[in-house]
Amino acid sequence: MSDERQPAAILAGDERRAFSRRAVLLGLGQALGFGVLGARLYQIQVLDAGRYSLLADDNRLNVIPLAPTRGRILDRFGVALATNDETLRVSIVPALAGNMDLALERLSQIVPVPADERARVVARAKRQPANLPILVASDLTWDQIATINLMAPELPGIETETFSRRVYHHSKIVGHVIGHVGAVERFAMGDDPALRIPGVRIGRAGVERGMEQTLRGQSGIVRREVDARGRIVRNIARTEPLQGSDIATTIDVDMQGWLVERLSRERRAAAVAIDVIGGEIVAMASSPGYDPALNTPQPPPPPPEPLRGRRRNRSLRTGQRVEVAKPDALFNRATSGLYPPGSTFKIVTALAALEAGVIDLRERIDCQGTFTLADKSYRCWNRGGHGRCDLHRAMRESCDVYFYEVARRMGIEALASMGRRLGLGQTYQAGIAPLSPGVIPTPTWKRGKIGRPWLGGETILTGIGQGYVLTSPLQLAVMTARAATGNAVVPTLVRPELDKARPQFARLGVNDRNLQAVQRALRAVVNEGGGTGARASMSDLGIEVAGKTGTSQVSRRSANRYQTSLRWEERDHALFVGYFPANAPRYAVAAVVEHGGGGGAVAAPLARELMAELVQRDPMRKPAISVSPPAPRPSPEASGGGSPDRDGKGHKA
Amino acid sequence: MNSGVFYRPPPSVIDKLGELNLLLLIALCALTGLGLAALYSVAGGSWSPWAERHALRFVIGLAMLIVVAVVPLRFWLQLAYPAYAVALIALLLVPFVGSEALGARRWLPLGPLTIQPSEMMKVALVMALAKYFHSLSANRISHPLWLLVPVAMIAVPMALILKQPDLGTAMMVGMLGSSMLLMAGVHLLYFAGGLASLFIGIPLAVPFLHDYQRRRIEVFLDPASDPLGAGYHITQSKIAMGSGGVTGKGFLSGTQGQLDFLPEKHTDFIFTTIAEEWGFVGSMAVLILIGVLLAILLGMALGTASRAGRLMICGTMVSIFLYAAINVGMVSGALPVVGIPLPFVSYGGTAMLTLMFSLGLSMCAWVHRNDPLAPDPVSLS
Repeated sequence: MSDERQPAAILAGDERRAFSRRAVLLGLGQALGFGVLGARLYQIQVLDAGRYSLLADDNRLNVIPLAPTRGRILDRFGVALATNDETLRVSIVPALAGNMDLALERLSQIVPVPADERARVVARAKRQPANLPILVASDLTWDQIATINLMAPELPGIETETFSRRVYHHSKIVGHVIGHVGAVERFAMGDDPALRIPGVRIGRAGVERGMEQTLRGQSGIVRREVDARGRIVRNIARTEPLQGSDIATTIDVDMQGWLVERLSRERRAAAVAIDVIGGEIVAMASSPGYDPALNTPQPPPPPPEPLRGRRRNRSLRTGQRVEVAKPDALFNRATSGLYPPGSTFKIVTALAALEAGVIDLRERIDCQGTFTLADKSYRCWNRGGHGRCDLHRAMRESCDVYFYEVARRMGIEALASMGRRLGLGQTYQAGIAPLSPGVIPTPTWKRGKIGRPWLGGETILTGIGQGYVLTSPLQLAVMTARAATGNAVVPTLVRPELDKARPQFARLGVNDRNLQAVQRALRAVVNEGGGTGARASMSDLGIEVAGKTGTSQVSRRSANRYQTSLRWEERDHALFVGYFPANAPRYAVAAVVEHGGGGGAVAAPLARELMAELVQRDPMRKPAISVSPPAPRPSPEASGGGSPDRDGKGHKA
Repeated sequence: MNSGVFYRPPPSVIDKLGELNLLLLIALCALTGLGLAALYSVAGGSWSPWAERHALRFVIGLAMLIVVAVVPLRFWLQLAYPAYAVALIALLLVPFVGSEALGARRWLPLGPLTIQPSEMMKVALVMALAKYFHSLSANRISHPLWLLVPVAMIAVPMALILKQPDLGTAMMVGMLGSSMLLMAGVHLLYFAGGLASLFIGIPLAVPFLHDYQRRRIEVFLDPASDPLGAGYHITQSKIAMGSGGVTGKGFLSGTQGQLDFLPEKHTDFIFTTIAEEWGFVGSMAVLILIGVLLAILLGMALGTASRAGRLMICGTMVSIFLYAAINVGMVSGALPVVGIPLPFVSYGGTAMLTLMFSLGLSMCAWVHRNDPLAPDPVSLS
């Protein structure tokens, strides 16, 4: 009982005795715990040792997971895009092989193994645990396998197996969409046991990654007895793996081939075409293209260059920029390339302003070429000014001042909220990964990301799709599809099953009058005199197109100069989004040409070509299933509609 | 309060080095040596990839231990609450910025490293509880109101870890905390009450367990029900241990480990390899060595004057005991599979550094064992 004034921590005799008592208690508790464990070990290692020895030594029961065959990926009409190829391969287990050089020497009498390859295997054996097999050669013939198995006693540690390998078809065309598979990076208890199998692959990008769970299937098990050297004595039981499901994508290979070929003429560009009714992505391409069949070892999907070039360009002012090489090609600009949407964002601004009620359709705003807020002036692209514009004319002629003013009136939150409603600033369950969410800036976002308060001028810039806003071409296509239909269209790369109805999208909940006003304005952009999107018109085909051009500024210098006098990376991005037929929308498209210059001059004609192709290749004109459905286990030659050698050639109609 | 104590010059670093508990260091080296041999063996008789890095980590950890030990104990006590706060904030951040793996968020990215805040918490909790009880007068220790603070200090991180979800670590934190309360002198009736409510509470908690946790418990009760999944580990582990028999199959000759039957054989299941290659003799040697380590720590606690010092040593001891007991229990099928390494034997950097730091704190308490450490004049009240 220590006195209040006495420092508590100086050991009073009582406390020390109490501590000692409890220390003994704790010590005894721990001893008891270890005693129980000791008893448990005694039971396993002494009493039951005989039983476990039998299991372990004489005939060891070995439970091995069997990898399921990965599902195939097909195009819209059943053309195989990704299949599997069985290959026979031989590997060596250093722990069982004894003398590695000798074993490889003997093996190479059956399967030629070049000297440097043998050196690689021997070097590898020194770096890794001796009981892990090392791949020596693949693509063996049945004869070679038979000989190896016949000679097995003289080839200790040599193992043969069949292995399923991913094969891509039309890969130059669909490379970015299908993506690729790669090695499993980390796995642990609780994971799918199939992932522990050496050499097993999982989807790393594209549909392969987005639909991984469906494609992978379920692993099987084989229980077998192996002898003391690890060789298989007999299989006891076998549960077959469940093959992964095939995925029919929404891509039309012919259409896609045309688009890839067309985009390859641009240095860097991306385009997306989606069916607005079901959200199906019919074609989606990115230039430069990428071919997963080239089997790049560890392709990191790098955000290659900041696409909002401003900052980058400044720092690059000194040096000549060199053409960015391969890693750039791995980058799917259509899903991950982020661009300031420029004037295409005016669709969002217009709809948001009408919904917020800050403007009505008749009100005119006078554009004298500049807009002033807090002593700063913001230019309209048309220096001379547009004069007095209502919404219809402002959209048609892409008057910046009009949209600066309405953005100021409604404020950033209303604008950002409409941006998200139209599908920007988010990712979708589209069966493809990774997708970039892009940026729809808000004051909260800016505080979190940059740590500074929101400025009024930033709302103004956001109103014309500059500033912090970033969107991917896929998102722009979704935005267009939503504006065209008033439905919350969600894009997908997975074709709905034939007997099932297409998804019914929810309505956006936007007032119909407002939506129709915006749609009328978008038709005017393409079809009325003075419209910036005239070059997207398909009136010659008898189809009315609606759309919006965008020219997003990348460098400050571009404002005062002719585009052709600028270096390529300082030129503006050219954008066009559109849909058709305007009165009953069927397809929405988005096209972005990086540093292409004016949207109306560069992106609109590109989009027109794309839309004309879409008209020509509409699946309504084709049978829904290819004439000869692929066999259940196709060899690559026999599969689908075409052979890989078609890839390189043009697909122009 | 120093008026009655005669003046002594503060000890120099050299003096303090002389005060290090050599027995503890020897036991530690012996245990790590066993681990190195086992890692050498599971790599198929090779220093790379595991044994050499394990040795390197041990040397770094040992240096850290000694540095921690010669710093004044008062410094570590001052650091206790800030350390606890940092660990708690890190735990709170995990759901938002943590990296997700295998359905749980447990890791925080920190530059090039990823840290596991629950590991930090194990050390910080020991420090904070030691500090708290140190600044409490003896008659308040069992007072219900004053007890509320340490109970919250244990329960809050437990709840956060449980949410990650990581049942094993949460329970470990709970047991660690309650044994610290026991050693601090909290009245035994509280523990009786706590145990009683546990027995009533567990059946009620089962419906709230995550699927994978319930699955693990099911598999623990019947390993054969999932021979390829979680049960696979237990079955293979028991076969390996049992087939080792009394004297084992000999160094580098364990067929089960060598032939890759064992999962995680270099980390959580390293004990299995020892048991297989060196038999019952080897596995008992490991248990006894750890037991010796624990006994040394208990002796150190008994010889330390300050309440804070004693509690820190006890906390470290209980940590090591829990790691070891849970790990051995797990690989021998006596406990469900939870990912907890065998201290100083399993390959793995985080656990090694955490434990070395804890041991450093205990060694520090021992080095300053004669310093009664008057509590801060400003108490919590």
